[in-house]
This record gives sequence, structure tokens and C-alpha cells, in this order.
Amino acid sequence: MDEMRAQFEAERFLYREAKLLDERRFEEWLDLLTDDVRYWMPVGNLEGAGAPDGQHLSYFEDNKQTLMLRIKRLGTGFAHAEDPPSRTRHLISNIVVEAFTEAELKVSANFIVFRGRLETEEDLFVGRREDVLRKVDGQWKLAARKILLDHNVIGAKNLSLFF
Amino acid sequence: MHEQEFHQLVNIEQGLVSPRIFIEPEIYEWELERIFARCWLYLAHESQIPEPGDYVAAFMGEDPMIVCRDPQGHIRAFLNSCTHRGMRVCREEAGHTKAFRCPYHGWTFDTAGKLIGVPRLNDGYFRQLEKEKWGLIEVAQLATYKGLIFASWDPEAPSLDDYLGDMKWYIDLMVDRLEGGSEVIGGVHKWVIPANWKFAADNFVGDMYHVPVSHGSGLALGLISERDISRGFQVSVGNGHGRGGADQWDVESWSDPASPHLKFLYENREEITHRLGQQRAQILLAGHGTIFPNFSFLDIPGFLTFRVWHPRGPERMEIWSWCVVEKKAPPEVKNMMRLAYLAQFGPGGVVEQDDGENWSQCTLAMRGRVRRRYMLNYQMGLGRQQVRPGIPGQTSPTIWSEIGQRGFYRRWLELMTAPRWSDVNTGGESNGRDESPV
Ligand code: FES
Ligand SMILES: [Fe+2]
Repeated sequence: MDEMRAQFEAERFLYREAKLLDERRFEEWLDLLTDDVRYWMPVGNLEGAGAPDGQHLSYFEDNKQTLMLRIKRLGTGFAHAEDPPSRTRHLISNIVVEAFTEAELKVSANFIVFRGRLETEEDLFVGRREDVLRKVDGQWKLAARKILLDHNVIGAKNLSLFF
Repeated sequence: MHEQEFHQLVNIEQGLVSPRIFIEPEIYEWELERIFARCWLYLAHESQIPEPGDYVAAFMGEDPMIVCRDPQGHIRAFLNSCTHRGMRVCREEAGHTKAFRCPYHGWTFDTAGKLIGVPRLNDGYFRQLEKEKWGLIEVAQLATYKGLIFASWDPEAPSLDDYLGDMKWYIDLMVDRLEGGSEVIGGVHKWVIPANWKFAADNFVGDMYHVPVSHGSGLALGLISERDISRGFQVSVGNGHGRGGADQWDVESWSDPASPHLKFLYENREEITHRLGQQRAQILLAGHGTIFPNFSFLDIPGFLTFRVWHPRGPERMEIWSWCVVEKKAPPEVKNMMRLAYLAQFGPGGVVEQDDGENWSQCTLAMRGRVRRRYMLNYQMGLGRQQVRPGIPGQTSPTIWSEIGQRGFYRRWLELMTAPRWSDVNTGGESNGRDESPV
């Protein structure tokens, strides 16, 4: 694999993934994750930052089972925060392949996620993701995602969406 | 607005509360003065500032605060605002320092609040500035209860001990059940909900009623046990505080290793019973509750959380939420509590997500002029309160009751109509009472 190929593979994966999220095809999105995926959004405020991994709060600290639960929740008929569903738009940019082998890509990217809800509710989430993509049976899958929000106090009433 | 008008907004005897108190700016301004500038408010946990020079940010109402340990090791709380032009002297959320140097003109204050440095003292002030008068503005009273730091701006407020009153009995259930007490996990969940702060305080003080519906997804997924939330009782504890939870836990079932937190409590059941007494140990996990006005907790199988609902205008609150653990719990139990908390609560938690949706949409639906004319219904369990031997406060016969909310709004009304603390009933028979028994 050369650098151009790695860049192309990373971009194609991330753009397609974003499309699945925006189209709320969450089951298909789940298939893009490895079974041992780590999906992590640490708190962005200063207190506790720099504490050893796993010793302070996160907004998300999920594995495949808990992500599956979040998706299952949406189908219970009681997920009021997402009923009616939000409209999201994931804008992914500044994609940098930090390291690559035939089997693994380390990719960082910036994001802006817009959420529109009901009539006039609008939220904007901005940040950076650090991803590890791994090749499983010839297909790229997301093996780890660290989501670093640039917000300290979250300006939204919940984080009922995926990043 | 005249203070007597507040009696038209809250009618406890009939279980009626006006939507206006969740919407109108003028009422909100009165609250900042009569509630937030007078009551004991929760600031921080002692474990956040163990050493002299440690500090952590907090809010009292809309006023930003610095809570720190002075060189003598005493806990102090100051307005985070320079006495010169009002600049925030500390812009970190937590840390360690000898002094706070104002970024505007350089006035410097030590951790006892004293003004210790003023640029141009000689050729600007000609040494005539009375430095001792211009220290950081300090709270009127500060006290701790078992690791919890509270403060009040009113020198006439009753002592923290009297203010908490019988609520201490329930607080002990959370923070004094084991040797060493409690500590907070690092980091704070902070987020904003476009709704009045009382929605959250009211929800936590006594609203188990919403759980099967609002959090129906939690029940459907098996995260919340229908049995756990359906038994027990609500308590109007007095002074506006309230709490609700199970009346008797099946402690033997806690030996299941599937829940490390419950197993840890099970293994320590003798110590817990010894510290709390047989009767209190039976209601160990205190469920939900609010300490008037805006400090709430949730103590349920798996985790414990404290949170403060900071007022941010009539239709906005900023939530600060912490995960609290037993200090003596082994690291793996603390970690499981942390993970259980953040999976279910905080803005990303699958349970808590739906609360914000309700409160913000209640707000939008009640803003209109006409809706504000019609009272809200707080009549559940009205007139059915009972006294349970050995249990402080007025209790409800079942968990489905709004007795806690009625106690909360009774105190709200008392404070809004009382010019001074001495006009507020702070103890005795009628305090915490619901309506007369049927
Ligand atoms: S505002 Fe702080 S020194 Fe002037
Ligand atoms: Fe709730």
C-alpha cells in the first residue's frame, strides 16, 4: 500500500460511514465496527483532563455491545429524545493518515455535526476524531475511535447521536 | 410584581402550581435574590480540594465561585470576580495555586482572599489604597457535611445542620455507609438544557412517576428493573428537601457477581448495618432526591451521581453532574460504577437523554400567554401522607406520589414571600407537612 492508496481508502471509508449515520442506517453502521471496537469520547473540560485513561469521566465509553444497546433503544418506542428522529449531517474533513500498513490505518479527521430536531432545535458539534481502521476479511472496519469535542460545557440537551 | 402574588402561583393545599414560575423573567429574578442568594447551596466535594492551595470552580446561582483551601487548610469560597473591575480572577476549572492574579490590571489575591498585590501602588495610588478592604468577596457562611461543601450568602440563614435537618439521615445513606465515606471521580459532565432549573429539581425530588414512561426504553432494555422502581415510598423530608426510593432491598440477591457494586455492598453489609442501623440499612440505596433548592442525587444499584442544576435564565439550566463512589471500594468497583453511570446518565446516557427532551418541550409548550393561565397538577397522593415509625419526614403510601414536589414548592413559596430567614418556618411540627390527613 502506498500513501495515496491509504489516503483514498481512509477517505472512502469515512465518507461512506458518515452517510450511513446521516441516513440512520445504524445496523449497517454497526457492521462497520470490529467486534472489539472501542468508542470513546472523554470529557473535554479541564478538570480531570490528563488523568490516566479510564479514571475520569467520558461522555461515551462504549464497546460493540453497548453501541448495539443504544441502537436497540431507538426501536423500543420509548426513545423520546429521538422520536421523531433527529436530522444529522456529518461533515468530515482534514483527513490525515497518520500511519498505515496493509492491515491497519491510523487516521485523524475533523468534524462538524449538525443536528436539527423538531421545528426549530439546532445543535452544532465540532471536534476531532482519532480512528484506527483495521482490515477484517478484506474489509476496512473501525477498531477504535476517540472523539475529542471542542466544547467544554455541551451546549445541547443531550448527545443522543453518534459521532 | 408584589410578593403576595406568589400565593396565586403555588397552592399546596390543592396541589396546584402555575406554569408562570417556569417561564417568567421577573419571577426568575426574584428567585436569584430570595432563593439562590439566601439558601445553602452545594459547591463541591472535599475530595476535590484535599491540600492547601487546591481550588475548584463552582457556581452559586449565576455567580461564579472559587472554592479553595487556604494556607491553614480551611475551605473558603469567594466570588470569582476581581474587586477592581470585576474580571474573573481564575479561569481554570480546578488546580493548585498560591494566589490568583487578575489578568486585567494585575491585582493579586491569596487563597484566603486577601489582596496581596497591586501594581502601581506607589505612583498610582500613592499608597492610599485600603488593601484590607478590597479582598475577594467571600460567602457569609460555609460549612461541610460529611465531605459535602455548602455555602450561603445570607448571614441570617440557619446553620447548615438545621438547614439540612432530617435530610442528613438520608444523606448518610449515601456518603457515610462505609468507613472513609465517598469521593468523586475526576471530570464533570456539564451540559445545558433549555428549561427552567426547577424542572430538574422537581423531577429528582419526588418524580418516580415519570420513570416507566420517560425511561420506558431503560425498562425495555432491562437497564431499569420494574420491581425496583415500583416499591417504596416518597418522603417530604422538610425544609423543601425530598427523597424517594425502595423500602426494602432483597440484599441476598446482591451477592450476584454480575453487579460488582452491589456485590461490594453485599460483602460489606455488616459494616453498613452497623453504621446505619438495621432499619436504615434496609432502604440502603436512597433512590432519587433533591436537597433544596438545586442539589440532587441518584443512588441506585450500580452507581451514585450528584448534580447541581445551575439557573441560567428563566428558560435555561446548566447541569454539572458527578459520579460518586465509596472511597474504600476497590479500583475495579469504582471503575464499574463510573462506566454504569456514564452509560445511563450524563448527556450521552441512554436513560438521561430523554429527560432533557421532556423539560425543553414542556417549556416550549407552556410559554404562551393562555397556557400560563392554567395551573399544573401536583395532586398525586394529596392528603394521603403517613408517618412511618423510625423514618424521618412525611411519607407516601406508595412510591407514586407528588408529596416531595409539594414539599419543595411549599418551601419555594415560603422563601419567595419571606423578606428574611426569620420569617421562614425552619423547624417544628408543620415543617415538611403535606396537606392535612384524610
Ligand atoms: S479588574 Fe482585576 S485588576 Fe483590574
Ligand atoms: Fe428521569
